[in-house]
Amino acid sequence: MAAAAIIVALGQAWLLAGLAVGVAFLLFGLDRRDASARGAYGFRPLLLPGLVLLWPLVLWRWLEPPSLQPALRRRHKRAHALLWLGLACILPAILATALALRRHDIPVPASVRIDSGSSERDE
Amino acid sequence: MSVSYRPVGWTRSKIVYDAVLIAGIGLYLAAFMRFAPKARPAGTLLDDQSLAIKAYGTCAFLLLTLVLMIGPLARLDARFLPLLYNRRHFGVITCTVAAAHAMAVLDWYFAYSPLSPWVALFATDTAWGDLRGFPFIPFGVAAFLILLVLAATSHDFWLNFLSPPVWKSLHMSIYGAYGLAVLHVAFGAFQDARNAGLPVVVFGGSGTLIALHLAAAWREHRLDQRGPVDATGWIAAGRIGDVPAGRGLVVPLADGSSVAIFREGDTLSAISNLCAHQNGPLGEGRLRDGCVICPWHGYEYRLRDGCAPAPFTERVATYRLRLEADMILLDPKPNPLGTAVDPVAIGEGGR
Repeated sequence: MAAAAIIVALGQAWLLAGLAVGVAFLLFGLDRRDASARGAYGFRPLLLPGLVLLWPLVLWRWLEPPSLQPALRRRHKRAHALLWLGLACILPAILATALALRRHDIPVPASVRIDSGSSERDE
Repeated sequence: MSVSYRPVGWTRSKIVYDAVLIAGIGLYLAAFMRFAPKARPAGTLLDDQSLAIKAYGTCAFLLLTLVLMIGPLARLDARFLPLLYNRRHFGVITCTVAAAHAMAVLDWYFAYSPLSPWVALFATDTAWGDLRGFPFIPFGVAAFLILLVLAATSHDFWLNFLSPPVWKSLHMSIYGAYGLAVLHVAFGAFQDARNAGLPVVVFGGSGTLIALHLAAAWREHRLDQRGPVDATGWIAAGRIGDVPAGRGLVVPLADGSSVAIFREGDTLSAISNLCAHQNGPLGEGRLRDGCVICPWHGYEYRLRDGCAPAPFTERVATYRLRLEADMILLDPKPNPLGTAVDPVAIGEGGR
C-alpha cells in the first residue's frame, strides 16, 4: 500500500508541476512560439491536458524551437516494421499463455429466487 | 499562407464520420447491455455496473483495434484514405470510451474502500509472482495513460510545436498501448470469460491487425527496394497512365521520403509529397492554377519550383523527371529548395 500511495503522490506532483508549466506557457509562451495561435483563443483550453501531461517536453520545445526545414525523411517506416514484427511474436505468446492459464473449474454459484421464498438451482 | 488554429476543423465529412462512429458505439453498448447477459451461463449474471464496465472495456479494445487497422488499410488500398484523414477523431473517441471504462471501474470496485480510489487501485493488484492471477490493472492503466497523452496531443498545434518527426514518434507509442491493452485483457477479462466470445474476438482482432501491418510494411519494403534504371541513379516511377486524374502519383524512395508526380495538361512535374507545414500528403491534393493544394490545411505550392505563392514563404523540394516512351523516370535526389524545374512535355517522349 505504501508503494501505491507513493505512485499516486508522484502522479499528483507531476500534474501540479504540469499545471504550472501549462498555464505559464498559455499565458507567456504560446503567442511568441506559434504565429498561428495569435488571435485564436477557442482552441487554447484543448491544449492544457497535453501541456500538463507532457510538461518536460513542453519546456524543452519552449526553450528550443524545432527547425522549420521540411522533414523529407520518414525513418519511422523501419521502426514500424520492426515494432510489428516484435508484436507478431509477443502478442500470440501472451494470448496463448493467458488461454492456457484460464481456469475452467470456476464454480457456478446457485441463483436464488427471492420472490418465491425458496431457493432453487438454475441447472 | 497562415491558418489560425480552431478548436476543431469541422468539415462535412468529419461531421458524418464522427456521427457514424458515435452512433456505432451507442449501438454496440446498447446491444452489449441487452445481449451479453444472455450469453453467460445461468447463475453468473452480473450487476449492471459490472456489465457496463465490460461493455466500455470491450468497446474501447475493439475501437483501438479498428483505429490501428486504418493506417495499413490506407497504405494497401487508397479507397481507405478517407478513414485516415479523420483518424485523430477516432483516436480521441477511443480514449473517451477507455476513460468511461476506467471511471466505471473506480466508481464501482474502488469507491467503497477506506483508501483513496487511486491508491486502492494500485494497492490491489500486486501478485507479480503468481502467473495465475497475474496483475492486469497496471497494464490497463499504462495503456490508458498512453491513449490520454495521444488524445491530448491530437490538435494540429502539437504537430507544429513538437515538429512532425517528434510528434510521429510520440504517436507511434499507440502500438505499445495496444500491446499493453492485450496484456490487460489477457490477464483480466480473458481469465474470467465464461464463453469463447472474448478469446475469439481478441485472437481474431490481433491476428488481423498483425497481418495488415506486416503486409503494409512488406509492400513498402518492396517499393523501397526498386533499383535505379541506370548508372545515373534515376528510378522508374511508373507509367504515364499511372498518374491518377486530379491527384499525384506518390513514389516512395529508398531513403524513406516520397515524391508526388502530377500531370497538368500534357506536362508532368514532381515535388516532395510532404507539405512543409505539417507533412500533409501533397500527392493527394488538388491542382489549381499550377499549384498543388495540400488536402490537410490548404497550403499551396507551385509545381514549377515548389514555392508557395507570395506573400507566403513555405517551400518544398522539386525533383527532375524524364520520359522513356511512356515510362516516367525520376531522379531521387531532391533539388535545393526553390529550384525551378521545367515540366516534362508528354508528347516529346523525354528530354
